Amino acid sequence: MLSCRKLSYTVGDFTLRDFSLELNRGDYCALLGPSGSGKTVILELIAGLRPLKKGSVLIEGKEYTRTPPQHRPVGLLFQDYALFPHMSVYENIAYPLKIRGIDKVEIRETVHTFAEDLDISRHLNRMPDTLSGGEKQRVALARTLVIHPLLLLLDEPMSALDAPLRESSVALLRSVSAKGITILHVTHDPSEVDSLANRRIYLGNSSK
Amino acid sequence: MQYSKNYTSIRLIFLFLSGLMLLFIVAPLLGLFFSTSLPGLFETFRDSEVTNSIGLSLGISALFTLLAGVFALPLAYIMARREFRGKAFIQGLIDIPIVLPHSAAGIAVLGFISRDSALGKFADILGFNLVGSPFAIGIAMAFVSVPFLINAARDGFQAVPERLEQAARSLGASPFKVFRQISLPLAKPSIITGLVMMFARGMSEFGAVVIVAYHPMTTPVLIFDRFNSYGLDYARPVAVLFIIICILVFISLRLLARKRKGT
Repeated sequence: MLSCRKLSYTVGDFTLRDFSLELNRGDYCALLGPSGSGKTVILELIAGLRPLKKGSVLIEGKEYTRTPPQHRPVGLLFQDYALFPHMSVYENIAYPLKIRGIDKVEIRETVHTFAEDLDISRHLNRMPDTLSGGEKQRVALARTLVIHPLLLLLDEPMSALDAPLRESSVALLRSVSAKGITILHVTHDPSEVDSLANRRIYLGNSSK
Repeated sequence: MQYSKNYTSIRLIFLFLSGLMLLFIVAPLLGLFFSTSLPGLFETFRDSEVTNSIGLSLGISALFTLLAGVFALPLAYIMARREFRGKAFIQGLIDIPIVLPHSAAGIAVLGFISRDSALGKFADILGFNLVGSPFAIGIAMAFVSVPFLINAARDGFQAVPERLEQAARSLGASPFKVFRQISLPLAKPSIITGLVMMFARGMSEFGAVVIVAYHPMTTPVLIFDRFNSYGLDYARPVAVLFIIICILVFISLRLLARKRKGT
């Protein structure tokens, strides 16, 4: 489903060399490694946020190496969730649909469906800065899922959550995974993905 | 005990120096206001030459501020987001109008729009003479004031986390949509501050404007003309009136910007 072949990238002092990864459809893969091991860079290369100089990215057999991020079938959940602070929760979730030119009625229906699914319906009129960490994560997840990505990239999704919220976050990600979406979950904490991942990849500092 | 005594003396010295600084700003303005009679001020307000010049100053400055925005905002965005060779040089270029003597800036603008220049020749073919036109006034105003807009907007764009732009890209937005829907609204308070600063600086410009167009007269040129031809008593009411209008416009725009920020 996802095929990363010999990705190489240099930024500042950090160098990624010949990183390869193959994921099957429906996989929940944990990419583990300490800070500075290049986990986030790999996600950004797959999402197209960094231009790849060497190597290739294929999704469902189709070449996406030079495709701009907005045309890749990839959803990325950022570590800090990156909710747009000038938009309400509703507008945040509706944003990817609006830029695709979907009509207002359909947008409203889709946003409400996902909001209900992720238990954030009562927050739709709130602004992001009034939400807790767990609520922000659900909103960011809803915003990413409305575009029906084939591949979901999670960048340290639980690092901003307190211990009690992590359990509900695990349950939430399990339910997303159960829908059949292929997930690549980056974390430095192996316990976070104990009950989630069917595959684990360890990155050392060797690439540095 | 010694520490407390030192602290009090420093505080007193700072208060004294700050008071002198504020007095330095306020005293000439108060002197100007107190030495102008109210009937004289009303008479000036009815003087069509004065009101026309005020309308001209405000109108041209507003128009050229908005026009400059079309070019200044993309430049500010590039300066905020991109790292490239020669960036420090470009930033230096942007700041040049701030450090130039304004009369020298006027001479530079005059060379740019005179009949010998490419722009001047082009206008000549179309039957226009740019020198002495409202266009020349606008160019002179924009030349000396546009760095305020570019720098304020650049600071505003820099304060927008790049993560938000990346998030929008990954959600399907093109670079232009990211600029229009994410970067621009989030940098808006700084951009409005920059527009207000550019507008205020432009409408009060004298040095550069007087070189490219003595007529039609903007208010700063009119104040100079009246002072030069008739003396202080004739220039003062015009100066007071223009200062009042400048302050009113400045306060209104700041309030508008604050209200927008609040909503």
